[in-house]
Amino acid sequence: MSDHDPHAHGPVTRPGASADETLQHALHEAHGDHHAHGGLGKYVLVFLALCGLTTMSFLTYSPAWPWRDQPQVGWTFMMAVSCTKAMLVILFFMHVWWEANWKYVLTIPAAMMALFLGIMLIPDVGLRNRMVSQERALHMARDSDLKTLQRASAESPFAEAAH
Amino acid sequence: MHAHAASISSSDHGHAGHGSHGDHHGHITLQYQPGLPLSRGKLIMWLFLSTEIMFFAALLGSYVVLRFGAAIWPKPHHVHLSEPIGAFNTFVLICSSVTIVLALEAARANKASLAKIWMLLTLLLGSLFLGIKGYEYAAKFSHGIYPAMPHSRIYERPDLYYGSAVRARLDELRKLPVALVPAALRDPADAEAKAGDTVDVLKRLDEVAADRLSAEQQAARGRLQQVQKIVISPEQQAFDMAVVADQVMPLPAEGADHGGGHGAHGLNDAFPWLRLPTVIPGGNMWASTYFLLTGFHAIHVGVGLLVFAIMLTWTLNAKRAGAIENIGLYWHFVDLVWIFLFPLLYLF
Repeated sequence: MSDHDPHAHGPVTRPGASADETLQHALHEAHGDHHAHGGLGKYVLVFLALCGLTTMSFLTYSPAWPWRDQPQVGWTFMMAVSCTKAMLVILFFMHVWWEANWKYVLTIPAAMMALFLGIMLIPDVGLRNRMVSQERALHMARDSDLKTLQRASAESPFAEAAH
Repeated sequence: MHAHAASISSSDHGHAGHGSHGDHHGHITLQYQPGLPLSRGKLIMWLFLSTEIMFFAALLGSYVVLRFGAAIWPKPHHVHLSEPIGAFNTFVLICSSVTIVLALEAARANKASLAKIWMLLTLLLGSLFLGIKGYEYAAKFSHGIYPAMPHSRIYERPDLYYGSAVRARLDELRKLPVALVPAALRDPADAEAKAGDTVDVLKRLDEVAADRLSAEQQAARGRLQQVQKIVISPEQQAFDMAVVADQVMPLPAEGADHGGGHGAHGLNDAFPWLRLPTVIPGGNMWASTYFLLTGFHAIHVGVGLLVFAIMLTWTLNAKRAGAIENIGLYWHFVDLVWIFLFPLLYLF
């Protein structure tokens, strides 16, 4: 916010306009010349990048992906792609790139809380793997169930009838 | 926010004079200095979005705990998820993010009718997303995949509980109320039947002329007869229940079918009215998390569409740019959530 012309830029309430409108007007004027004009090209660019990234994460599921026996590699890759896409959307579509420093006040605490929440849940994953109630142990499916089903599919007595 | 919220200055001239020339207007103006240099609406939207970040972080976090803490998790094709459809929906949402940004740019340039066109496009793309989501939900429902009983027909393992559930459903079909008889098996005599009458649909299926069934249905009829024998057989073995489950709804093998999940045909596919219980290992927890996450996301999409519909009745000129920016922020956030949901639900 510059101070060379208080009438155009200063957040002074003008008669007939609410404080919000005045501020909106002032904010728009303040950064309008940076990106409001002739800026459609960058949205197209971001759009193309997002499409390309989506295709990339989709391709990890294709037979061409080399680490099919190690799903963790694909998961990590897909999350990296998602975070990149999220950053593109936040920075350019949500205009955070061009915002003043207030953006850090709002986004950093929320991001830290979200990250902290995620990290706090990691022990729960381990706990769920180690501790199983008797009822859950009785009724939950295991890998062996899937193998039995696949064996049934292969050796089924009606295999000839089905195909 | 209120530390410097208001300080008094006499007039637009900025002089400190309370005297003669200011009396012309007769009132003082307040200088508005917010704690953060952004409009109230935008500040509130950002604060709301930070709570939304934590809301979805909690949902995604619990998904991760359940997903990675589970002994087994169904593959996407086991639960009839189609990756191309999910990818297409991602594309639709990204497009709608672009159109709402263009609506904002048009409104800032005071091109109200252009802004309206972009916003209408956003509304249509959002509706397309919800439509595709509804189509996907319908595909799940038709396979008996619901988040909870009594509609859910998912059993975790091919065990005795599963066998007795199949038996119970077969018994139901032997005494089906006349009104529920599937159209393909209707009899002219049914018209005269009383309200309380029941029909043995399985018997009627056995007696129906072969030319009224497709080749696939004829083969399925034979398999259904064998399944009926297995579930009441006294020499039943544990493995037999896996055979039954495989006949009712086979789980496609890895890489066998990446399309719409129509590669393998079970009894439930040949005769949709059978609605026999199915076995999907890990399927119940999958259904709970899938419907919870996509459901909450769909509600957010729906709220956005409602706001777009209301805003379409406005004149979207530069005066409304602030409002469009705020709903745009919300809409991008909805897109953002889907960016994480798509790989987590469809590709993991």
